Amino acid sequence: MTNIILEARDITYSYPYGPPAINGISFHIRKGEKIALVGPNGAGKSTLLLMFNGMIKPDSGMLLYDNRPMQYDRSSLREMRRKIGFVFQNPDNQIIAPTVFQDVAFGPVNLGMEPDDIRTVVSESLISVGLEGFERRPPHQLSGGEKKRVAMAGILAMNPEILVFDEPTSALDPQGSEDMMELLEEIHNQGKTIIISTHDVELAYPWADRVILLENGYILNEDIPERAFANKDLIRKAHLSIPIFLELYLELVKRGMKECERPPRSVLDMIQVIESDRHGQMQMPCTLCGAIYITDCDTLKPRALQRFVTAHHITAIGAMGSRAKTRLKEELLYPDYTYAVIDRCILQAMNGKDALLLTTGGMLIRAQERIDEFNQENARHIKIITVIESE
Amino acid sequence: MFYELLENIAQNNGMRDVSPYTKLLLGLGCILIVITSPGYIVPLFLAVILSCCILICARIPYRLYLSLLCIPLGFAITSVIVIILITGGDYAIFQYQLTDWLILSITPESLNQGILVFSRILGGMCALFFISLTTPMTDLFSVMKRFYIPDILIDLAMLIYRFIFIFMEKAHLIYNAQVMRLGYGSYTEALHSFGHLAGAIFIASWNTGEDLIKAMDCRCYCGRFAMLSKESPIRTGSLILVLIFLMLSIVLEIITADYTLIHEIL
Repeated sequence: MTNIILEARDITYSYPYGPPAINGISFHIRKGEKIALVGPNGAGKSTLLLMFNGMIKPDSGMLLYDNRPMQYDRSSLREMRRKIGFVFQNPDNQIIAPTVFQDVAFGPVNLGMEPDDIRTVVSESLISVGLEGFERRPPHQLSGGEKKRVAMAGILAMNPEILVFDEPTSALDPQGSEDMMELLEEIHNQGKTIIISTHDVELAYPWADRVILLENGYILNEDIPERAFANKDLIRKAHLSIPIFLELYLELVKRGMKECERPPRSVLDMIQVIESDRHGQMQMPCTLCGAIYITDCDTLKPRALQRFVTAHHITAIGAMGSRAKTRLKEELLYPDYTYAVIDRCILQAMNGKDALLLTTGGMLIRAQERIDEFNQENARHIKIITVIESE
Repeated sequence: MFYELLENIAQNNGMRDVSPYTKLLLGLGCILIVITSPGYIVPLFLAVILSCCILICARIPYRLYLSLLCIPLGFAITSVIVIILITGGDYAIFQYQLTDWLILSITPESLNQGILVFSRILGGMCALFFISLTTPMTDLFSVMKRFYIPDILIDLAMLIYRFIFIFMEKAHLIYNAQVMRLGYGSYTEALHSFGHLAGAIFIASWNTGEDLIKAMDCRCYCGRFAMLSKESPIRTGSLILVLIFLMLSIVLEIITADYTLIHEIL
């Protein structure tokens, strides 16, 4: 295949004087994929991740980036680390400089960029993680989630092709974890390949394209999440648990519910599955479907949102992307949904209520496509109203 | 936590956007005037003006400022008392025979000397607090760069600045863990616990050092440390105001050089 970006061929590694940490692993990752490396503590997740950008050299076997074996001389390593950005689990280990600006600028400075370019790159990456205006703050004054974002911005500023996150949601509160997953989704939409390690199956299950189950330095399973997480034996072996939606679905199937092509990954999926099984008994009449207003927050006039929300009887606001969230904050509105926003807006519309979806740029089209797709699949008529310039 | 306090205040004070050069010129200029001043009036005058700047312009809460001032003033008062009691003079206003060989006496000269030293300490401390409460460390780095201080020193200073807070936090956590399990109960126990604390901090700093190298490698480190952010621009108006103020203080210093408190009373 041509679009394989990262490949491992039978790699092994053991720490000095320790038992083997990686026991002959082979896999490949395609460009633009979202991979979750799932396993218990001490399974070798972090070790494996550190191999991706050459921080650890495998004892045997080889790693290929873009179908070329990795070289471990100085200049190849630099190139490798620019293309494969690594975000540490503990942001305190990664943030080096005394201010946010200086820390994000660290990578670009070392890549030898021009001062003016550095300024633009830094402000762009800070905007994309939702931390504009934090330039002069020292890192020790930031909260855990903000520190994680600074660490991410520092890597994004180097414009890597693959982003590797070691436990991106560890030590974050549930809201923080959801924001983080949403941010990963946003970065993925910019065409990056993303690899995360985690043991939070609930977050990995709806997010990942493919899951690699790791235990004791071996790959237990490598599959799409629906299948990888459904194998009870392997899940038990890997000290994990079955995601709640999948378990519920499997139990319902056991009790005679019709099996469907794709097991549900979200609340919306679950409701679709149940409805299709009950032959539409739970469906509301289509005329009662609410509308979803989609707006691009960059084209909106200032202070237009408040009026819009009251004028159109909006019952729920979803913010997709960091810029939308910042915009809402400026307008003194609070988003009801910040994660899985499209799904939740659809759910709201299914109940006959109107929702406002605030987003930017390319995600606008993605949201429309998703809703169209849903309408076709389920023979629904959720109206999409694109608000370009608020009246 | 106290170790973060001063820096937090400096980061959020009302004069954050004044150029660090202007603030440093005012602070350092005042310190120079204070330590060269032969009379007590100018240092006290500067102490009052700088305190007003700190309290009104920089909007530092007065309670906090007073409690900060109390720390050095405690030392200052005790040493000034000693100076007053042991400095000689023409005649004694007060005398006390402490032991056979030590007579404590207060003379006009010793009183004048004491007052001068005290006013200098007060003025100097106010100037230092003015700098430290209005200019955060992060601004000083760019000033250092402008004055051709070698990059390696600035890089080191920046790393130290960054890691001071991490280590203080770690030390605080370990200390709390020890206290919770009744460390520091008796004198020997305290020594023992402190030893453990120092050991744990040493190991932690070693590990952090290794993590730091890893993190820097991951981000393509090749000897160049972070670029300095832009500092607030120097406004000519405020700069000229500061220069005029310093000039006036020097003139005042010359006029009031011979004023002493005690001679006027007698």
